[in-house]
Amino acid sequence: MTSSSASPRRALGALAAATLLTLAGCGTSGEQPAASGASSAAPAAAAKLIVIITPSPDNVFFKAEQDAAAAQAKKLGYETLVLSHDDDPTKQSQEIDTAISRKAAAIILDNAGADASVAAIQKAKDAGIPSFLIDREINKAGVAAAQIVSNNAQGAALGGQEFARLMGNKGKYAELTGKPTDTNAGVRSQGYHSILDQYGDMKMVAQQAANWDQATALSITQTILQAHPDLKGIIAGNDTMALGAYAALKAAKKTDVIVVGFDGSPDVVDSITGGGVKATVLQPAAKISEMAVDQADKFIKTKSTGLPEKQSIDCTLVNKDNAADVTNFAIKS
Amino acid sequence: MTATVKGETRSAPAPDGPAAASRWSPRAGLLLLLRGRTAIVLVLLIVVFHTLSPHYLSDSNLLLMTKHVSINAILAIGVTFVILTGGIDLSVGSIAGLAGMICGGLLYEGLRLPGDTVYFSAVMVILIGILAGTGVGALNGLLITRLRVAPFIATLGMLYVARGFASLRSDGGTFPDLAGRPARGNTGFSIIGVNTWLGLPVAVWIMVVVAAAAILVTTRTPFGRRVYAVGGNERAAVLAGIRTGRIKTATYMISGACAALAGLLLTSELGAAYPDTATTYELNAIAAAVLGGTSLFGGRGTIAGTVMGAFVIGFLSDGLVLVGVSAFWQLVVKGSVIVLAVVMEQAQQRVQARMAAH
Repeated sequence: MTSSSASPRRALGALAAATLLTLAGCGTSGEQPAASGASSAAPAAAAKLIVIITPSPDNVFFKAEQDAAAAQAKKLGYETLVLSHDDDPTKQSQEIDTAISRKAAAIILDNAGADASVAAIQKAKDAGIPSFLIDREINKAGVAAAQIVSNNAQGAALGGQEFARLMGNKGKYAELTGKPTDTNAGVRSQGYHSILDQYGDMKMVAQQAANWDQATALSITQTILQAHPDLKGIIAGNDTMALGAYAALKAAKKTDVIVVGFDGSPDVVDSITGGGVKATVLQPAAKISEMAVDQADKFIKTKSTGLPEKQSIDCTLVNKDNAADVTNFAIKS
Repeated sequence: MTATVKGETRSAPAPDGPAAASRWSPRAGLLLLLRGRTAIVLVLLIVVFHTLSPHYLSDSNLLLMTKHVSINAILAIGVTFVILTGGIDLSVGSIAGLAGMICGGLLYEGLRLPGDTVYFSAVMVILIGILAGTGVGALNGLLITRLRVAPFIATLGMLYVARGFASLRSDGGTFPDLAGRPARGNTGFSIIGVNTWLGLPVAVWIMVVVAAAAILVTTRTPFGRRVYAVGGNERAAVLAGIRTGRIKTATYMISGACAALAGLLLTSELGAAYPDTATTYELNAIAAAVLGGTSLFGGRGTIAGTVMGAFVIGFLSDGLVLVGVSAFWQLVVKGSVIVLAVVMEQAQQRVQARMAAH
């Protein structure tokens, strides 16, 4: 991990070098970019290849997903290639082309869109490569070998229940939703409302898309507080938005406002321990990645996973009672 | 040859200054309206949103919106220098993110040297961040002036490279706590993004200082005049003995420094640094400059116009959120306002040209 602890000065020096190199058409500097885009294992002659494709590892959730999948694949003796599609279906399609041309044995994919990804996954299937989807579903059955997703609806209902309990089942609240084009943004919002709308005394006074982004959530929360200074709670579609909302509340000295997030990211778990954000919903990202690799392994050896295509894994509520047991998207049970 | 040069210097730029319409005519009135279009749009926005929400014009909301504006205004002021020379800087959002990550790292985990970890004071960290941004800007400038890379391409490349290094700094992670520790002597970073002074957020004061300095530099210094000259007619500027390469590089350094400062304000307010900070902010900054009447062909525009442009974008975005307009419509409205502003700018050029012809 030389790159992650590089000093600013070295980083700048390397920046200069890398810029020149990049512009000259060869993008490798001496340092090892572990995050994405590079083959994370030296090509071994016999080892079969598993290609792991996820959204940008800038989000710790996807980072945890990548790391868990790559570790499990290596443990089972596979070579791995870890790529990021940055939520761009076109880039994802090109990366699947790469997987096909490298004759991958399987693809582990957190896809870039429920409809936009179907053709690319079909393309891999036609080339004889099974895809194992994690985290996000696609809107077609029979294309992927498996779709293992956390149960967002169940998780959001858990989050909604805890939010209502913390609010004392009454008061004004605001909702920050994820990127409107992302299926999970809608599913989580519906999950929250399946619970919250049952309470007549809970009133949603604002609902805004903060696009999963921390700084956007901060800015929007500040504006919402202007219109509704008597806000009692904020429920966010993911943890980065919850952290952004909490930063706004802290600046406005309104830390008694209840904030609930979704994902179970380490930063929010720390915040819960410290009494900041009140609760989140843990998606077992690491477990799902490992399951996908295990099933890929079984499929490669026996041509079947022996399990149904769609598998839904329940989420767990995290609040101050169990925050200490949570590490890197996994909970001690 | 000399004749051509003379011909070109004639069209050399005059800042969009208070060239007063001396004789009153309907056309002069129209020109005055078009000149003041950004201010008029801003007033219209305020009136519309005030009727839609009673909270829009409250003191606290005006303060908040101005604070939100300050980040984009600082970015846009830097970019304006570059655009005035006829260049473009697409890398400012990424530079803001990189500066935020460099400073976040220094505050959160310090500078790891072999056998020791060094912590810098918040002031030093801020200076290092701005210096880093200036350095990246210098690199942009050298790529453009020495290696003859088109500004669009050089800064597009830097957009990716700087964002990449921002992610590499933490291996994609977030530095979650920038409060510092008294024992390390590095507390106080939150002052620039969170605190207020004399009733105004510190970020707003910083914007005021940056804007005032930029207005002075562009209107009252030889450097400022050279910036306009390079953008107005580069060949004429070269023949007039201006070292255009140095001027251009300097503008990219100013842009980088402003971007870093904006990134630090964002990071400070959030109390956390993450690699995606300020993604696509370059577009908002360029939009503010253009809204404020800066010509993308260089040589024409003012810092005051850019700041006004930033206010229009910021007051519009916050107003749409306050009234609860859907995210999709927010995009449509914002884009339309930007294009409309340029349409009005073109109209102003035509009226001006026609008046000059008389």
